[in-house]
Amino acid sequence: MAFLLTLDGERILDVDLIPGFLHRGFEKMMEYRRWDMDLVMSARICVEDPDHVELSYTHAMDQIFGVDPPERAKYARTIVAEFSRLASHLLWMMHFAGPVAARYATSWAIAAREEVLKWFDYVAGHRIYHHYIYPGGVRWNLPKDLKERTLQVLDRVEGLVRDMERGFFLHPVFQRRARDVGRLKASDAVRLGATGPVLRGSGVAHDIRKALKYDAYGMVDFEIPKGEYGDAYDRAMVRLREMYVSIGIIRQAVQQIPEEGPYRWRLPMALPPGEGVGRVESARGEFMTHIVSTTEKPGGRPLEPYRIKFRGPTMAHLTTVLKHIVHNEEITVADFPVVVGSLDPCPPDIDR
Amino acid sequence: MEMVLKLLGLGFRYLLRRPYTRLYPYKEPPFTTERTRARHLLYMDRCIGCRACQLACPADAIKMYKIEGEWPKNRLKIFPGVDYSRCTYCGLCVEACPTSALVMTDYTMEHLITEDKSTTLYTPEMLAEPPKGEHRVTFTKDLLKPPPQPPPKKGGGG
Amino acid sequence: MKGADTGRRIEVEVEPSQLRERLRRALEEGYDHFIGINVVDYPRAGVMEVYYFVESVQRGGELLVVKLRVPRENPALDSVSDIYPLAEYQEIEAHEFFGLDFRGNGSLRKWILDENWEGPPPLRKDVDTRKFVLETYYGGQRYERPKQEKSLQEVVE
Repeated sequence: MAFLLTLDGERILDVDLIPGFLHRGFEKMMEYRRWDMDLVMSARICVEDPDHVELSYTHAMDQIFGVDPPERAKYARTIVAEFSRLASHLLWMMHFAGPVAARYATSWAIAAREEVLKWFDYVAGHRIYHHYIYPGGVRWNLPKDLKERTLQVLDRVEGLVRDMERGFFLHPVFQRRARDVGRLKASDAVRLGATGPVLRGSGVAHDIRKALKYDAYGMVDFEIPKGEYGDAYDRAMVRLREMYVSIGIIRQAVQQIPEEGPYRWRLPMALPPGEGVGRVESARGEFMTHIVSTTEKPGGRPLEPYRIKFRGPTMAHLTTVLKHIVHNEEITVADFPVVVGSLDPCPPDIDR
Repeated sequence: MEMVLKLLGLGFRYLLRRPYTRLYPYKEPPFTTERTRARHLLYMDRCIGCRACQLACPADAIKMYKIEGEWPKNRLKIFPGVDYSRCTYCGLCVEACPTSALVMTDYTMEHLITEDKSTTLYTPEMLAEPPKGEHRVTFTKDLLKPPPQPPPKKGGGG
Repeated sequence: MKGADTGRRIEVEVEPSQLRERLRRALEEGYDHFIGINVVDYPRAGVMEVYYFVESVQRGGELLVVKLRVPRENPALDSVSDIYPLAEYQEIEAHEFFGLDFRGNGSLRKWILDENWEGPPPLRKDVDTRKFVLETYYGGQRYERPKQEKSLQEVVE
C-alpha cells in the first residue's frame, strides 16, 4: 500500500491510494479448491485479525448448508473472536505508538499480545492463523481447564492494558498530538461508508454485534463505546474502551459456556446450491463475505464454491474517508501518519 | 509535574522487569503446548496408499513416493512425503487419513530453521523416523473424539 | 431464512435501466451505507449477474440486495457513484476483474492489477489462471519443486 501525495509546501492537497502490492488472487484461487481447503486459505486474507474472516466465511457456509451450530460451539466461537479482537487492537497500538513518537508503548503492547498468542497456542494449536472456526461449529473440543487458564490470562492482560492507559493514552503530549486532527462528522462518516471504530468515534452507535446478534452475543451483556468529535483522539479512546469491553465479554462467556454437548455438526462434502451472506464486526469494521454455490453442469453437486467475494472494511477508510479528511482540513505531512494510524488500515483487505 | 513523576515511576518499574524476549532457537527451547502442530510423523506399517492426504492438502505439499519392500497393507507401495516449504500446518491431512498413519508432533527445529533449502524436503523414510530431540505427539485423530454427528432435522419453518 | 446468523435481508431484482432510480429511492428510504458490488459470471447462460449491497444504519443493519443481469458480450451499466461515493471504487474493481463498463465513471483503470497482470480480465470463467501459474512458474509439474537456475551462492557473488 502506497500513497501518492500532492503537496504545497508542508500542506497536503490531495492523496491517492496505490494498492496492488499484496494482491495474491484469493478469489480466483478459491474457485479451484474444496470448501474446507478454502477455510484454511481465507484466514490468510487479514493478517492482524484472521478469526473474523474465518467467522464470516463460516456464517455464509452455514447459511448455504442450512444449519445452526450447537450451543457450546457458539460460545467457543465468541470467545475466540473476542480474543482475536484484543490481539488486533494491541497490534494497532504497536502501529500507532510509532507516529506519535512514543516507542515505549510499542514494547508494552507486544508483550501484552504475547499473552494472548500463548492462549491461542493452548486452545487451537497455532499462534496467529488458527483454522479453528469451522462450518457447523468449531473444529475440535475446548480443553478441560479452560476457565482457570483463561481467567489468569485475562487478569494479566488487563493489568498491562491499565498500565498502558495511564502511561500512553492519558499522556499530555499524546493528547496534544491527536486532538482536533482528522475530524469526521457523523453524517459524513455514514455517507462515505465508514464502519467500526471510525464510525463509532464520530458518534454513531452502530455495531453489527448488537444489530444482528450472531453466535452468543445475544446472551452476554455489553455496551458499545462511542466518541463525540470524531478526531483521532476519540477513535483511539474508542479502541481502548473496546479492549475493556472484550475482556468483560470473555469473562461472562467463560462462566456461561455449557459443560457438555456436541462441538460440531458433521456436514457433507458436496455443496447444496444456494447463496450466503456473512457479516461480522471485525476489529476494524464490518467484514462481509458473499458466497454463491451453483453449478452449470446439469445434475452435478460441486465441491468447490462458484464465486466468493470478500469486502474488507479498509476499502472505505483509505479511499473515500481519507480523501474527504484531506480536502476539508489542513493536514500537514507531520500529521498524516497520525491520521492514517487512527483509521487503522489493513492493506490485505483491499488487495486480497 | 505530578503526572511526570508518576509516569517516571511507571517506566522505572518496567525497567526492572525481566525482558520478555525468548532466545529461540539456539539458547532456549520453543514454547509449545499440548496442541501445537509442527513436523509430521508417519507410521509406515499403517499406511494403505490411498492418497487421501495428497487430495486433502490445500497447498499441494504432499507428494507420493514409491518405496520397494514388503508392505502387506499397501499394494501400490506408495507413501507420502512432505515439502515443508509449502506446508501450512493446517492438519487436514491428518484428519483425512483413514488409518491414522499420519500424525503431527510439536517439534520445530531442523525442517524449518536451516540455511540450506534442500533440508526442507522430507521423503517418507525421513518422516518415519522420530525427530531427534524432545518432542511429543500432539495432533492425532483422538482430538476429534467424540466424532461429530449429522445436524438434527428442524421441524417446520426456517 | 435458516442459518447461523439472522439474515434480515431483502432481495430485489430489477432491469439494468431501472438501476439508478431504484438506488436513489433506496437512499431516500434510509439505506445510506454502501457496502459493495459483486459480479458472478455464467458463461453457459451468457449473462453476468451483478449484486449491489446497501445497508441501513438507522434500522439496525438491515441489508438490501439489488440484483440484475447483463449480457456477457460488452457488458455495460450506469454508474451510481454520484449517489453513493464509495461505489466509484467498487466499480473500478468490477471493471478490472470482469471487464464491466460503467457509463459515467471517469476513473476506470487497472487499479489493483496495475503491473500485476497482462491479459484478459482474470476472474472470468474462461481464463484458466491455474494452468498459467503451473506453466510459468513450476514448469508444468504440480507436486515438484521448480528447478532453480542459479543457487544462492552464485547470486550473492
